[in-house]
Amino acid sequence: MTAASRHRVAAWVPALALVALTAAVTLALARRGGISAVEAAPSYVPLTARDALARPEPAGPDSIRFVEHPDVYPVGWPSTGIPLALANPYERNATALATGARLYVAYNCIDCHGADGSGSMGPSLADGRWHFGGRPAEVFESIYQGRPDGMPAWGGRISNDQIWMLVAYVRSLNGGRDVSTANFTGLKSRTVERSGH
Amino acid sequence: MTRRRSAAALALALIVAGCAPDSGKGAGGPPAATVGGNARIAVPRPGPPGEWPMPGGDYSNSRYSELADITAANATKLQVAWAMSTGVLRGHEGQPLVIDNTMYLVTPFPNVAYAVDLATPGQPLKWRFRPENAQAAAGRACCDVVNRGAAYADGTIFYNLLDGHTVAVDAKTGEQKWRTRMGDVSLGETITMAPIVVKGKVIVGSSGGEMGVRGWLGALDVKTGKVLWRAYNVGPDKDMLIDSSFRPFYAHDKGANLGVTSWVGDSWKRGGGVSWGWVSYDPALNLVYYGTSNPGPWNEGMRPGDNKWTCAILARDADTGALKWVFQVTPHDMWDYDGVNENILVDLEVNGAARKALVHFDRNGFAYTIDRATGEVLVAEPFVHVNWARGIDMKTGRPILNPDKLTGEGKLVKEICPSLEGGKNQQPAAFSPQTGLFYVPTVNLCMDFKVRPVSYIPGTPYIGADAPERLGAGGFGGEFIAWDASNGKKLWGIKEPFPLWSGVLVTAGGVAFYGTLDGWFKAVDARTGAPLWKFKVGSGVVGNPITYRGPDGKQYVAVYAGIGGDMGLLIAGDVAANLPYDVRERGTTLPDLAKWTSWGGELFVFAIP
Ligand code: HEC
Repeated sequence: MTAASRHRVAAWVPALALVALTAAVTLALARRGGISAVEAAPSYVPLTARDALARPEPAGPDSIRFVEHPDVYPVGWPSTGIPLALANPYERNATALATGARLYVAYNCIDCHGADGSGSMGPSLADGRWHFGGRPAEVFESIYQGRPDGMPAWGGRISNDQIWMLVAYVRSLNGGRDVSTANFTGLKSRTVERSGH
Repeated sequence: MTRRRSAAALALALIVAGCAPDSGKGAGGPPAATVGGNARIAVPRPGPPGEWPMPGGDYSNSRYSELADITAANATKLQVAWAMSTGVLRGHEGQPLVIDNTMYLVTPFPNVAYAVDLATPGQPLKWRFRPENAQAAAGRACCDVVNRGAAYADGTIFYNLLDGHTVAVDAKTGEQKWRTRMGDVSLGETITMAPIVVKGKVIVGSSGGEMGVRGWLGALDVKTGKVLWRAYNVGPDKDMLIDSSFRPFYAHDKGANLGVTSWVGDSWKRGGGVSWGWVSYDPALNLVYYGTSNPGPWNEGMRPGDNKWTCAILARDADTGALKWVFQVTPHDMWDYDGVNENILVDLEVNGAARKALVHFDRNGFAYTIDRATGEVLVAEPFVHVNWARGIDMKTGRPILNPDKLTGEGKLVKEICPSLEGGKNQQPAAFSPQTGLFYVPTVNLCMDFKVRPVSYIPGTPYIGADAPERLGAGGFGGEFIAWDASNGKKLWGIKEPFPLWSGVLVTAGGVAFYGTLDGWFKAVDARTGAPLWKFKVGSGVVGNPITYRGPDGKQYVAVYAGIGGDMGLLIAGDVAANLPYDVRERGTTLPDLAKWTSWGGELFVFAIP
């Protein structure tokens, strides 16, 4: 399968600047090897159903083709019996983490979850605590199928490969910090920069 | 803030404002004839003075009450009469209604409505209404899941649900009469504003200016919930309900389809300009007034042009929705200065001439006194520290921009004042015809601004900028100020450690009430600003105080305590402690707020025993 055939070019037209930026990023990544340019480029595929919360339609023959890792999340809905031991092919892969960080901005995760996952309209992803589980497969599922309080479903809209890179990035945000105590001294509670809306 | 410190701040403010310090202190007599330009409320309240029948108290949005039992002399004796939990945490913006010895409350999402029986000790519920409300709405609202209150007419309570519905509920029984879907929450279109009822129509506007939606104002039939008209704020004249009767005051606002041609390509289709603020109404002119939000995205390079009619004040015919005039407060906004703040309708003198005016304290830091029949700007002066513009060109009404503060591609612009929270945000000011003054809860934050590329993905934020904020010069967070709209002058101010996010009530007793983010509810002398009384309520105050006469004949003052909104959710995320999986660290902007308060959801009611 050629890289180009893996993803249909989206009808969605990104900002020109974004194209330029991501082109530069992905070329650089491609040169360092590991992830192909196409996988690293943000590419969002709008579905016919406008409701981003609706169940993602299984990919039709003409829509998107998924990268075929033997261990990726199965395409389709509902996902019965997720093997929780499912491994992230990109866990601790530095290139994938960097790409994940860029996708986090490109897919507007940043404005719902805050810079560095500090929390905004949506919950903090940097507290080391998880509502829906923090194992790679569980985080994958959160992103793939969405969550009820307004987390959009990205499965079928971006490639599974990119979701795995986002999983790697999101899971890296806490960095082993303990957020349990806040005593306002700066010792036991650092400050983070957030943007209001 | 201690009494001593606030008194010192007051003295300082008086000196800064150029007043002799003793011109205010204890001055019992009426203000000098020129102060306030003999201003009076344009549309006084129709009903009994002991009720609070609409969000702003009256169609003018004055938030003034004739009740005068609580005075500057006895306010020190105020005590809690009763309190009530709404059962909901998060930002309690908005205010109760009081009609016929019944109090009506709406909570933040899931937008429960309560009817409280004021005539029975213990204030039992008459009914409780728990609407169907899409859970997904919670994560699609930009700035917490707030609701700014209900409207009342013909034995019916009308309010909006976060998921984009408007509902009508029988005021006697709590039964739903109708429910109309007005917005598409899957696109990030939510509703947070308080509707008003005008001539058999419920007037409703949308939220979602950060989500790439296109704003509108709609009118629904009070009886059936049928949409009678819907006017977009952006787009072709046909969508905007612009016909030959459209008469903007300024030449640059005239022309066909400016809501399209002042944008590039089809960027207007996701251009924001939503109407999430307060609505006023002048029955004599038959016009409804409201403001529109920022354009989307914040990255200005993606939408060259004036971006009409975002960040604007619009006047529409109440019957047809036809646009009569519009004034664009901040053309081509590049700082997120929504123009949605309330328009307070007053008649006053400007330069000795009587004018039918509206007074508007904009996010952009300027206070505008505008002819409400024509849209002509009469007075435009900064009411907080402003550095993005050098002033307003009175020939065109447009800001004179400071080239150093223009945001855009490839630059980090530092120290822009006010910040994107504005010199004032949603928290409404009040006006007293006794003093002729406006009481304005302001914010003293500045920001750095850096744009980034952003793509439109339906149902996700369409912002494209980072804008960290910090306290402005002086190191205080906000100031409660008294403003003369006739002359565009601040008379005095009370500095507060945190930005003000609560609205104001002012009464014929000469008392002004407001709350603070750190949870104080305060009464000050409306003439002098002298602090009279304060009480530490259960959570930071972002709601708006109201007053009513109880069935026992006493005057009561009621306010929500429940921190939230942009300040409580996004800026100081660590005031929440209800979710084990969402533990946020201190925000750099207000690092110590959580020391003083946490999320809550209570109504506090005060009286003199
Ligand atoms: C429209 C706002 C929005 C956008 C855009 C968004 N999220 Fe979310 N996200 C949410 C909300 C709200 C929740 C909480 C859902 C719930 O509790 O039901 C959430 C939950 C999550 C969770 C689960 C957290 C936990 O504690 O288990 C993960 C992981 C996540 N989001 C990652 C992402 C990533 C990665 C992106 C970008 C591809 C993204 N989100 C985009 C709003 C958003």
